[in-house]
Amino acid sequence: MLLDPQNIDPAWAWAAYQPDAERPWDLRLAGHLFRRAGFGATWPQLQQALRDGPAKTVERLLRPEDDVAAFNRLYDEFERSIDPEAESTDGLRVWWLRRMMESPHPLLEKMTLFWHNHLAIPRNRPTHALSLAEHLQLLRAHALGQFDQLLDAAVHDAAMLLALSGGANRKAQPSLDLGRTFLEELTVGPGHYSESDVQGVARAFTGFMVVRHRLRYVEREHDDGAKKILGRQGPWNGHDAVKIALAQPSTARRVVAKLYRWFISETEPPSDSLLEPLVAGFASEHDIAKVVGTMLRSNLFFSNLAYRQRIKSPVEFAVGIVRGMETVVNAEPLGHELAELGQDLCHPPTTKGWIGGSTWLTDATWIRRHNLAWALFSTAGPYGGKLDPWAVARKRGGSAFEAVGRFLADLYLQGDLSPASREVWSRATARADSAKANPSQGVRTLAHVVVTLPEFQLA
Amino acid sequence: MSLSRRDFLKQSLGTSALVSASASVPCFLARTAAAAQTQPPQDDTILIVVQLAGGNDGLNTVVPFRDDLYAKNRPTLRLSAEKLHKLDGDFGFHPQMPGFYKLYQEGLLGVLHGVGYPNPNQDHPHAMRVWQSADLRPDASQTGWLGRAVDQIYQPEAARVPAVYVGQIPRPFAMNAERAIVPWVRSLDQYGLQGDDGQVPPETPHAEASSPDRAPFQQKTAGSSPAHDLLPFVQRVALAARATSRQVEAATKAPAGDYPRFQFAATLRTIVQLIRAHLGIRIFYAELGGDEPGGFDTHAGQALNHGALLEQLSESIAAMVHDLKRDRLLDRVLLMTFSEFGRTVAENGRRGTDHGSAQPLFVVGGKVRGGLIGQHPRLDDLESNGQRAHTDFRRVYATLLDEWLKIDSRPVLGSRFSPVAFLKT
Repeated sequence: MLLDPQNIDPAWAWAAYQPDAERPWDLRLAGHLFRRAGFGATWPQLQQALRDGPAKTVERLLRPEDDVAAFNRLYDEFERSIDPEAESTDGLRVWWLRRMMESPHPLLEKMTLFWHNHLAIPRNRPTHALSLAEHLQLLRAHALGQFDQLLDAAVHDAAMLLALSGGANRKAQPSLDLGRTFLEELTVGPGHYSESDVQGVARAFTGFMVVRHRLRYVEREHDDGAKKILGRQGPWNGHDAVKIALAQPSTARRVVAKLYRWFISETEPPSDSLLEPLVAGFASEHDIAKVVGTMLRSNLFFSNLAYRQRIKSPVEFAVGIVRGMETVVNAEPLGHELAELGQDLCHPPTTKGWIGGSTWLTDATWIRRHNLAWALFSTAGPYGGKLDPWAVARKRGGSAFEAVGRFLADLYLQGDLSPASREVWSRATARADSAKANPSQGVRTLAHVVVTLPEFQLA
Repeated sequence: MSLSRRDFLKQSLGTSALVSASASVPCFLARTAAAAQTQPPQDDTILIVVQLAGGNDGLNTVVPFRDDLYAKNRPTLRLSAEKLHKLDGDFGFHPQMPGFYKLYQEGLLGVLHGVGYPNPNQDHPHAMRVWQSADLRPDASQTGWLGRAVDQIYQPEAARVPAVYVGQIPRPFAMNAERAIVPWVRSLDQYGLQGDDGQVPPETPHAEASSPDRAPFQQKTAGSSPAHDLLPFVQRVALAARATSRQVEAATKAPAGDYPRFQFAATLRTIVQLIRAHLGIRIFYAELGGDEPGGFDTHAGQALNHGALLEQLSESIAAMVHDLKRDRLLDRVLLMTFSEFGRTVAENGRRGTDHGSAQPLFVVGGKVRGGLIGQHPRLDDLESNGQRAHTDFRRVYATLLDEWLKIDSRPVLGSRFSPVAFLKT
C-alpha cells in the first residue's frame, strides 16, 4: 500500500492495526511501540509483546497489571523529603528520572512529560521545589485521565499560576500575561482569540494569590463583574474560563495535534481531516487515554508514516539505554547531563515547552550524547558501571560474541540497520570478539557503538 | 596562518578526494563537502559579550581625575592622577589596566560613557535580568536578548548553533533561546569524542535505503517520501559532530598567543580557539566576577579587589587581541563588556561604594572607533546616587545587532533603537 501523507483515509488510519502477511507483527513494530509508549523496552518485554500481539501489548501499556498506584505513592513520599524551602529543582529532577527508569507504567511518565511540555513552566520563573513536585504529581494524576479536569486543576495550581505571572492577580491589576498564555499556549492557540479575551481571562482569574507557595483565594480581590471570553458573556471565574476554552473546537484540535506529533510523527503535520475523528471525540469526552489508545493501536501508528518519524529527546535517548539494561543509574549526574543536552527537566526554556525535533541534534549535542553513552557504559565515572551489557546479553542472548552483537542490535534497534550502520556494527562486533581477554569491556564498547548509531537517535 | 574551513573539512573527512564527488561517495557526504566548498569566505562578524557581575565602579575604571567632585566624593578610594594611564587631559584608566591603555592608544578600544536605562533598578538579580533580557520588565521576558538573536540565525538543518557560552558559572539567561540549544563550554575537552578510535570513514554510516532482506516492513508499507526520512539528517549531524570535534582538536594544537594566568584569560583563549576552529559561532558569552552578587560588588574595602578584577579584565582582553591579530582575525571580532549597574559616586564610609546606575561600557576590536565616546555624566547631577545615564543600553545592543552582526534588532529588542556611533564607517 502506498501512503500519501496528505491524503490518508482517516477511517483506515485510525482503525486498529491487524497483523497480516503484508505487515506482520515483528520485533521492529514491538520496539517502535515501546519507544513511543514509553522509553524503550527490555528484552523480556519485547519477547512478551511478540507472544501477545499488538492489541494485548497496547492494552498492557495503557493499563499495566502491576501495582502502579503503590509505586507512585512510594515516589510521592520520596519527593516529600525534598527540602521544602529549596529553590533548586535538582532533587525533584532526580526522583522523576528514577520514575522514568523504574516505573511499571512508563506510558504514564511519558504522558506526564507530554503535559509538562504543554503546560510548560518557563525557565526564568521563580521555582520552589515542593510546589513543583506537587505540580508534577497533579500532571501525573491526570496524565491519562480527563483533559478538562487536568486543565482546570493545572491552572488552579500554585506553581503554574506563579509561572504564568498570576501569583498575585488583583482586581485592580489583572495579569494579562496569565490571560495571554492561557489562550496562546494552553488552550485555543494563536489566531483564535483577541486582546479583549486576554482581558476577560485575566479578570476571571483575579482573586487567586500564591502566598508562601500555597494557593489562596481572596474573595475581595476577585473581579465578579461581567466579562467576555471567546464570545460568551458572564461573571466568569477561572473554572468558567476553562470550560469556555474547552468548548472551543480549536482547543481539542490543538491538543490532539500535539499528541499526534508526540506519538505518531513530527515530520509531517497532519491534515485537519485526518485528525477530525479524534478531535470530535476528544472535544466532547476529554478522555486522554482514549485518544492515546486509539493512536497507539492504529494502522497509521504501525505504518511507515510513523516508524522512525521522530527524533528522540535527550530523556528518551538516555532512559532508553538504561531501561534496555534492566537496571537504574544515578539520576543526579544524569539530570545535569540531560540539561546540557537541552532538556532540563522541570525547566523548559519557555511556555512553548521544548521545540524538539531537529533542534535536539547539533554537532555539540551529538558529541555530548556520544560521551554520555560512553559514560553510561563505563565501569568508571559517575554511573559506576551499573549498565552491564555483557551480563544482560549472556542472560538473554547467549555468550558467543556474534550472538552478543546481534542481541544488542536487536534489543536497541530491532536489527533494523542501514547497510552503513550494519557495517559499523559488524566491525565493532569483530573488535569485541578480538578483545576476548576482557569480554565485559569489549561488550561495553560494542554497546556504545550501537546506541550511537544514527538509527538509535530516532524514536 | 590559520587553516581554512575547507582544509579543516578535508582533514576531518580524512580525504580531499571527497570534494570531487565521485560516484562512490555517498551523496550526503558529497553534499556536505560541496557545501563546505561553497561556504562564503569566513568573514562573518563575531561578537563576544563579557558580563562583569556585581556592578562595576566605572568612576574608578575610567577616572575623571580633573573633576574636583571625583576627589571630593572619594576620600579614600580616589586614584591619584599620576598613577593613572592618562587618555587625555581629563580621563585616565585605573593603574592596573596597562593592557587597555595600549589598546586605547592603538585605536582598538572605545569607551561608551553613561550607558544605562531610565529608572534604573539597583537590585542585583533584577538589574542583571534587565541587561540580559533587554527588557525593562524582565519578568515578562522568557528569553535573553542573545537567545533571541541566535534563534533568528539558527537553522536546525545546519546542525550547528551559532552561539556558545564559555564559563564556569551556570548558563546566563541572556543565552536562553526558544529553539536553539546553546552549548555551555567549560573546557574544550568536552568536544572530544570519547572511546572513538578515529577511524572515520568506515565509522560514518551513509544514507541508503535499508536492504530489502532486513526491512520487509519498509518495503511493503512504502510511501513516505525520502524527504520524510530523518536518517540522512541524523547522519549529517553525526558527520558534523565528527568534523567539529576534529576542528576543535586541531585548533587546540595550533600555536596560541601568550595569556596571563587568570581563569578569565583561559576563557578568552578558549573563545579564540573556537573562532580558529571555524565552527560558524558568531556569538560568544563570557563572564568575569562569578555568581551573584559577583566580584564587582565592592561595598567594603574595594580598592584591592577592584584593582585585581580590572587587571584580569584588561590584561586578558589585551592578550586576546594580540592573539587575534596574529591570524588577522581582529577585524572580524568585536568584544563588549557590561555590568548590571555602575556604583555610587560617593564612597560609603567602608572604603567601598554601593549600587549606582550609569556605567561606561568597553568595546574592543579591529573595527571599533577607538576613543572616548559620548559625554561623561556629570558628578553633580545624580540619579539614585549614581551617575545619570544618557545612552540607553538597548541602543548599544541595536548597533551590535544591526550594524555589526547584521541581525535585525527589531524582533530582538521589540522596537527600533537609534544606533550609537562606535563602529568605524
